[in-house]
Amino acid sequence: MLENFNFRIIWEYMPFFLEGLRNTFLISIVSLVLALLVGISACACRLSQWRLLRGAATIYIESIRSTPLLVQIYFFYFGLPTLGLRIPEIQTGILALMLNSGAYIAEIVRAGIVSVSAGQIEAGIASGLNYFQRMRFIILPQALGVTVPPLLGQAIVLFKDSALLSMIAVAELTRSGQVLSSERFMPSEAFLTVAFFYLCIYFFLKSLADWSQKKLIFREAY
Amino acid sequence: MIKFEGVHKWFGKLHVLNDINLHVTSGEVVVICGPSGSGKSTLIRCVNRLEKFQKGKLWVDDVPLHDHGVNLTQLRAEISFVFQQFHLYPHMTALQNVILAPVNVRKMNKAEAADLGRETLTRVDMADKFDSYPAQLSGGQQQRVAIARGLAMSPKIMLFDEPTSALDPEMIGEVLDVMVQLADEGMTMCVVTHEMGFARQVAHRVIFMDEGELVETGQPDSFFDNPQTERAAQFISKILTH
Ligand SMILES: Nc1ncnc2c1ncn2[C@@H]1O[C@H](COP(=O)(O)OP(=O)(O)O)[C@@H](O)[C@H]1O
Ligand SMILES: [Mg+2]
Repeated sequence: MLENFNFRIIWEYMPFFLEGLRNTFLISIVSLVLALLVGISACACRLSQWRLLRGAATIYIESIRSTPLLVQIYFFYFGLPTLGLRIPEIQTGILALMLNSGAYIAEIVRAGIVSVSAGQIEAGIASGLNYFQRMRFIILPQALGVTVPPLLGQAIVLFKDSALLSMIAVAELTRSGQVLSSERFMPSEAFLTVAFFYLCIYFFLKSLADWSQKKLIFREAY
Repeated sequence: MIKFEGVHKWFGKLHVLNDINLHVTSGEVVVICGPSGSGKSTLIRCVNRLEKFQKGKLWVDDVPLHDHGVNLTQLRAEISFVFQQFHLYPHMTALQNVILAPVNVRKMNKAEAADLGRETLTRVDMADKFDSYPAQLSGGQQQRVAIARGLAMSPKIMLFDEPTSALDPEMIGEVLDVMVQLADEGMTMCVVTHEMGFARQVAHRVIFMDEGELVETGQPDSFFDNPQTERAAQFISKILTH
């Protein structure tokens, strides 16, 4: 099998792959940072006392989690222009990834926060600590331990999901595979290379997740 | 020190506090007892405003809690609350638990607070456990750390909500000993408990609550030996046979 495998063509297209890889990287990082902001805000709304905010956050989170990412991407890609909003493919892709991951991150962060017992928070209130002090000293240190590993898991998902942006012609890693495959009719070379790059990213993030799991898990309560 | 005047509270339709009138003076130890669900926790939780009430007046250390714009941080710094389930912070050592509020609410510097924390933990007989985490302590030890956490704020009032109810019987004594010591030192205390021995030994007054009402109040010995109301008599016979 390997004698038919054309390494030369991979080498020839390498600058092209690297550009795709760079774009995948940039898109994912930017989407992830924005998704963190969206997720934390959505989580704050979801836990808020105001019913309107809670309702809005719940609708957002549930509608994202109940529909496929590809549908969401198409929705923004074809839907926004009909609303008169013309934005380039890359930005459309980032918007979709951000809103998609944001919903999952909101739930991850919420799980971390509600893992801190109401009693401890009440003890903090009773001793005169204000909201920010309770967050800083009681809730976040404990929530972080249970939140960071699944957040890195979500980051891995986001990296792989960014491949779907090839469907709206964003020049990311998977798209470079498609291009090689259609220009030279060498799908195995194209997609094995693409897969190899995803694998590298995956192992990098995975070892980060494992390390954080060891570092951040606090003593069990009780 | 604490003065309730015609206080009412509802949870939705449920009338949990019904016309409460009560005056606790400085240095007084008051034991509150009554059947489960009678409103004892709600009563003492009003004192540091963990609960709001809808009607009536309540002064704590001359601060009118029925007025708007009460400085709650300042109020709560002067009142310590000890919970049935301890509620220690599990990610902090005993010492860190004790000095969190002194450092962040009283703005004490860390070294001073640490000295105070060690001194306070020594008072509750936890001198050898400064650096233990709550998970490494028994229930009785955790509750003593929780008492030290309250004590470290040098409060004017200490509130206890069934502090020994979650403990194994053999650990109840060590916690009560600490509370007796506090009472002897002149701390103003409101204690929700059914520990009759403790009440007889240190309480100046026992208050009996039922269905949100303050039904009877009296000296501990006369209350337990010779209750004036039918409801109190029934309750006492129940905790005696228990
Ligand atoms: N947050 C709450 N919401 C609604 N009802 C409550 C709440 N807290 C307590 N109650 C109700 O109020 C009544 C008095 O409760 P509580 O003060 O805890 O009684 P006790 O401490 O004497 O057992 C009970 O019937 C209880 O179910
Ligand atoms: Mg209670």
